[in-house]
Amino acid sequence: MGTTVLAVTLGVAFGLVASACTAGVDGGAGGQGAAGGVVGSSSAPKELRLAIGGESEDGYDPTLGWGRYGSPLFQSTLLKRDADLKIVNDLATKHTVSPDGLVWTVDIRTDAKFSDGTPVTAADVAYTFSTASKSGGLTDVTGLSQAVAVDNDTVELRLKRPQSTFVNRLISLGIVPKHAHGKEYARKPIGSGPFKLVQWDEGQQLIVQRNDSYYGTRPAFERIVFTFTGEDASLAAAKAGQVSMAAVPSSLAKTSVPKMRLVPVKSVDNRGLMFPYQPDTGKKTAAGLPIGNNVTADKAIRQAINQVVDRQALVDGVLEGYGSPATGPVDGMPWFEPSSAIQGNDAGKAKELLESAGWKDANGVRERAGVKAAFTLLYPAGDTTRQGLALAVADMVKPIGIQITTKGVSWDVIDKRLHADAVLFGWGSQDPTELYNLYSSGSAGVGYWNPGYYANPVVQKNLDAAMSATDQDEATKYWKAAQRDADGNGFGPSGDAAWAWLVNLQHTYYVSDCLDIGKPQIEPHGHGWPITAGITGWRWTC
Amino acid sequence: MALDLLSTAAPRSAGPPPVADRAAESRASHWARAIAARLLRLLLLLTAVAAASFALMAASPVDPVSAYVGADLAAIGPEQRAQIAERWGLDDPPLQRFGTWLSHIVRGDLGQSHAFNQPVADVIANKFLTSLALMAVAWCFSGIIGFTLGLVAGVRRGRWADRVITWWAYTLSSAPTFWVGLLLLYAFSVSLQWTPICCAVPVGSVAGEVGLLDRLHHLLLPALTLSLVGIAPVVLHTRQAVAVAMASDYIAFARAQGERTLGLVVHRVLRNAAGPALLLQFSSLGELFGGSVLAEQVFSYPGLGAATTTAALGQDVPLLLAIALFTTVFVYTGNQLGDLLHGWIDPRTRRLEAAP
Repeated sequence: MGTTVLAVTLGVAFGLVASACTAGVDGGAGGQGAAGGVVGSSSAPKELRLAIGGESEDGYDPTLGWGRYGSPLFQSTLLKRDADLKIVNDLATKHTVSPDGLVWTVDIRTDAKFSDGTPVTAADVAYTFSTASKSGGLTDVTGLSQAVAVDNDTVELRLKRPQSTFVNRLISLGIVPKHAHGKEYARKPIGSGPFKLVQWDEGQQLIVQRNDSYYGTRPAFERIVFTFTGEDASLAAAKAGQVSMAAVPSSLAKTSVPKMRLVPVKSVDNRGLMFPYQPDTGKKTAAGLPIGNNVTADKAIRQAINQVVDRQALVDGVLEGYGSPATGPVDGMPWFEPSSAIQGNDAGKAKELLESAGWKDANGVRERAGVKAAFTLLYPAGDTTRQGLALAVADMVKPIGIQITTKGVSWDVIDKRLHADAVLFGWGSQDPTELYNLYSSGSAGVGYWNPGYYANPVVQKNLDAAMSATDQDEATKYWKAAQRDADGNGFGPSGDAAWAWLVNLQHTYYVSDCLDIGKPQIEPHGHGWPITAGITGWRWTC
Repeated sequence: MALDLLSTAAPRSAGPPPVADRAAESRASHWARAIAARLLRLLLLLTAVAAASFALMAASPVDPVSAYVGADLAAIGPEQRAQIAERWGLDDPPLQRFGTWLSHIVRGDLGQSHAFNQPVADVIANKFLTSLALMAVAWCFSGIIGFTLGLVAGVRRGRWADRVITWWAYTLSSAPTFWVGLLLLYAFSVSLQWTPICCAVPVGSVAGEVGLLDRLHHLLLPALTLSLVGIAPVVLHTRQAVAVAMASDYIAFARAQGERTLGLVVHRVLRNAAGPALLLQFSSLGELFGGSVLAEQVFSYPGLGAATTTAALGQDVPLLLAIALFTTVFVYTGNQLGDLLHGWIDPRTRRLEAAP
């Protein structure tokens, strides 16, 4: 009898579920849709599916910051960086900078069209730049004072002060059509880029279609689908054969996925130890935060730590091999100065440095004039990579008589202590503006820029010269000199050793064996789609 | 007679029995007064929720501009940060901001979401439609499965079916939703590949191609996960109510009259057991909402739960406040409905309330 009850009630239950509950489901028109491309089939698929995270929740408006990592897909930029990070033309045919560095004149190509058929003009470029400069979004164009279309294909960008790094706005800012840019634009972008937006299911996927009137290299895939899954789900999708590329954190990169290979991509996503540079004289910031540390203010201490740290061991031990040693904030970039680095790790040399600076051993921890060679190193508590690095570094400096106390704290605590305690920070950008902000005395104490109040007039001169250069090669020369110049001055480990840079991470992707993504760029620190920078060159090889 | 349930506010006047039209008139005024009372309560509740949420957010150490800038810290200068703060109206002191927000709300303007760069009303409308499907199915699942199992357990009390069901209910009530979700995801999506990994629609399909079956297919696993939140209490309460009813004199009498178990359950027990189950079911809307935050996160299901996470992480105050208010209305309505239905199914509770 009991089974009858069960059967009847279950029957009722399922009937109800089927009828009543589907009322809440929005029934779409049409039947079972065609599944589109087949991943892993023998012929090249029309559709490519990627799970590389990084949804732009606030839409696809470049004037608010869309496209600052990788390709803006829908829009094209004036310039771009190739795989070696060299600057090449895109929408621009030529650009020149006035001798005073204040006026950038850009000629644009005349055959570019927006996806609605209207040609791209200098007026659109001027509009894009002046809108972005006032937008309050995630692209900083505040250096611009005025953008003027001189004629149909020439635009003048007038700056408030010389800024060689303004070139990065020409590289990252997608051009929007003046006539079709409004409130709705972020969700219905129109541009002259390689792809058109088909559909964006917020929180789920972005479907883009090849723009057949694009002037540049024709993408090999008609459609690209970006799915916005979490890291675990991305890996699951890769394992289930549902995507051709999945971005995973390196901790998940140890598994093997059928028909996919692991592609580690170099990055300048770096981690380093920031030293308070000033001695503690009781000085405080305007907000009342303490400045200075008597131990890390000593160059010998900073250089000794830079000497003794075994960076390759950090890469192998903490990053499980997915990374490279870092000796500066811009390793591998065109403006990196290799001679500023110190090679290998040498405990003997480190001890020598400390001895000659007067730090004498006393029961394992060195002392000088009653001051112990000991300081605190802060890291954000939730970040296991930084925790691993902090603990490993503390262990590595112990044998030479320096005592580092590591503390995992909230950013809230770091915000209050960052001028007086060492902090494990992470940076990394394809824009040398960051280099300037990290080491310029003008940005000391501004947000997280130069928290140690580093200041060196020689370095400052080089940084300023790099910033006001009117030619990128000249700027590069000065960026390099700021790291180490002919006289041996610089902020790098061989000079002031203002930071002890430790490692550069690698970003790890599972990529289908059939997908050739060419040579990826060195990626910045960030959460966008840097891997898509070369997306128009991707090919299917099976 | 539905009107009587609302008569809590004012006891019936004593005195001579009123003539028919006067009775109708007094009933109408009871109605009006009862609704007004409930609306007033809701209004007070909303005000309290808004003030408390705003105070919490104002006290939060997370700076909205920093949260928005995130990894772009290096490239965003002080001037640009000021522009962002200005765009969002963060320059004013908190109390003034709350005042501005409140005056906009009164005029029906929920403001602009920072995280989604869209009017808050649009964000909620879009996301809630997706969530509604998920929550409705999960809610039906948990109600029907829970009630059915509770019924079986109660009828078969002490037997193996009861023991298995009770054990299962206890296990469910102690398992975290997201964990169960991950297990299901692994079992059904990765290993067996029966269900999709993510999202509310098939990957790569444009809107016109998506059929009802596709949607249900994508809904199944998240809804099942979410329904687990509500099943256990319904099972256990129903089981108890059924057990009490089955042990009662009137059941013993009916049984003596020769009525069989199925008849007993259908005619005499169902109604008794349905009251507590319904009340629980409606009052569980709040938990359902909380559960959907986790379930949507696990399955990349783009509903209001996922939007809440985004808003909270990004300190998107207008959106977060609106979601708090919306949830309050949602849960309050659920509770009131449960109250009404309970009274309708089990008139005894109504009479108790109505007694002076």
